[in-house]
Amino acid sequence: MLLNILVGFAIAFFGFVLQTSVAGVNRKIIARLQKRYGPKWYQEFLDIFKLLSKRATSHGWIFDFGVIMALGGIIATAMFMPLTNNIVAFAGYDNFFIFVYLIAVGMLGMAMSASGSGNPYASIGVMRALTTMLAYEVPFMIIVLTIINTTGFSSLTEIGLFQQASGNTWFLIALPLGGIVGILSLMGMLGKKPFETYIAPAEIASGPMVEYGGKQLGMLFIMHEITVFIEVSLFVHLFLGGAENIFIFLAKYFAVYTFVNLISNVNGRLKIDQVVKFYYKWPLIMAITQAIIAIYFGWVVSI
Amino acid sequence: MKSTKFTEPRKLSKEEVDRKWWEIGDFFRRNSLWMLMYCTGCCAIELPPAMTSAYDMERLGMGPMATPRQADILLISGYLSVKSLRRVIYTYEQMSEPKYVVGLGSCPINGGIYHDSHAVINQLDQYIPVDTYVAGCMPNTESVMNGFVDLMEQIRDKTAKGWIKYKENNEWYKKNQKAALGEVIIHDEFHE
Amino acid sequence: MMNSMNNVEFLKGLMNQNFKIVETDVIDQYQVSFVLKQADVLQALVTLRNAGWIQMSYLSAVDWPDENKIEVVYILMNWERPVHIQIRTKIDRNDPVMPTIIHIYPGAKYYERECHEFFGVKFPGNPDYQKQLILEMWDDMPPLRKDFDPKAYSDRKFTKREYNEDYLVLSDQNDKKAKREARKERAESLKGGQKI
Repeated sequence: MLLNILVGFAIAFFGFVLQTSVAGVNRKIIARLQKRYGPKWYQEFLDIFKLLSKRATSHGWIFDFGVIMALGGIIATAMFMPLTNNIVAFAGYDNFFIFVYLIAVGMLGMAMSASGSGNPYASIGVMRALTTMLAYEVPFMIIVLTIINTTGFSSLTEIGLFQQASGNTWFLIALPLGGIVGILSLMGMLGKKPFETYIAPAEIASGPMVEYGGKQLGMLFIMHEITVFIEVSLFVHLFLGGAENIFIFLAKYFAVYTFVNLISNVNGRLKIDQVVKFYYKWPLIMAITQAIIAIYFGWVVSI
Repeated sequence: MKSTKFTEPRKLSKEEVDRKWWEIGDFFRRNSLWMLMYCTGCCAIELPPAMTSAYDMERLGMGPMATPRQADILLISGYLSVKSLRRVIYTYEQMSEPKYVVGLGSCPINGGIYHDSHAVINQLDQYIPVDTYVAGCMPNTESVMNGFVDLMEQIRDKTAKGWIKYKENNEWYKKNQKAALGEVIIHDEFHE
Repeated sequence: MMNSMNNVEFLKGLMNQNFKIVETDVIDQYQVSFVLKQADVLQALVTLRNAGWIQMSYLSAVDWPDENKIEVVYILMNWERPVHIQIRTKIDRNDPVMPTIIHIYPGAKYYERECHEFFGVKFPGNPDYQKQLILEMWDDMPPLRKDFDPKAYSDRKFTKREYNEDYLVLSDQNDKKAKREARKERAESLKGGQKI
């Protein structure tokens, strides 16, 4: 039992270091696209440690407690994530629904502390974040329930093993409409450019993070990095077939994150009603069509 | 050379331990500075070339930030009228420590070309502590980048102590602010 | 759209019919300026508003210290017949009083506040024309009058930076000394806006 908890902490720490490095390398890639040199690859680490060394004011105990709750909740969620087929902390507990349930704890912690600060921009940002979550969850859940129905399991390692079995292809290719919906939902989850409404740096002065400075902001950044790690790993396990060893996992992770970042680099930002209308139109239709095709007719694309 | 097997390792005093922690903190602080650009004067037009592909500011680690509570540097670009000075003092006191102020152009130094105007203050140093000035009207973008690198070197040599000066000589700064502005409270003239 | 010369003719006909105009100036086909007496201004604005000039673009003043008068300027705009009209009157400089027009154009409330702050013109009828709008901690004469010295005010209120004079030492070349003295005398005589 104690060994499992230690492996879980190691997985969370590994996820934090991995995501921070990948984010730094991506900043350099985007800068080279824009014909300039970028920052160093470890720039995100410097940002986080600089924030942890500043002294800031606090707005009361709900403000501080919300940040700690968010960070603790996200670390607890990351402990359940399987990395490859064999490296998993709590075998048998890496169910998809556990992740859906526990990510909400992180969100709620941030919402609680942001509204405890009393700034109206924070309330607007929190409202927008929860509305965006309402928008992208519906097509995403339909696709994932299709996948669970096709494979018959709902544990992430089992879904990965199903896709790696001979004769099966990754779900990105086997359910093509579902793959597209998965990528769009991933961009909404990460808060990348067309759906960046809840941070909106120059519009509502960075939304929920407006009153934070110093150590609380550093902890929020750590929470954001681990959240991104969890979401991209979910995508890798559900649609890209898990991983047999760690190098394949790193390659798939890097490819997914860079692809999403490259798309988001050339887009503007949508308004919140446009986000909701977008997600309830074509992605929802594609998800329902894919569900009908895969469940009732049983057609999958196989190479 | 003395061998270390027989001499006791010297225990560091409390000031030296604090200083070593502070040096590590200075390394992180000077390599990732976040700026709040108070762009209401003419010198703000030198910032887009410094931020984008021409003279890239991001390779030094600096980037723009949206609110004063998250930023390290307050960048005053150009002249300040009495009305703006009130808001700048509010903004400066909201930032979290350690914080630095950079004055762009000649107007924060001695008034620039507006030195004989009835509405523009002449010396920014009297009201908030300034760490680095970049002279010129307006300075070339290379001079602006040079100013930022100078600020980074000042942080490394521990001479960028504006925020400590503000805390210690608070009465002197407050006296100057009251002489020029009355009390530092913001009124909304359009709705009163 | 109507022909613009037509518009100017229509306007001149309208004004000449109803009021005694001191001076008319057609600047170009889109701008006309009328100088009226102070008592006619309110009636002229009401007539023009009913004829279609519904937008008040600007309200300001010009200071003529030699004639001892302040000239108040109203600029109006019409969306159907595009002609800018300037209505000008000259009022007394020592005690400038002008009736308010906020019952004709409600947006003039802030313009009258600004005009009072910068020129000293009073607008009885406007309930808050004396409130401070732009200048803060002001204790001197209204600043846009021509006999206000901005440099003296700035020297009094804001401290200047002092420099050591060690690099300002003039060279003591005697052959250029006469030219230098003449230049300095000319610069001194031009100070204060007076001509030589």
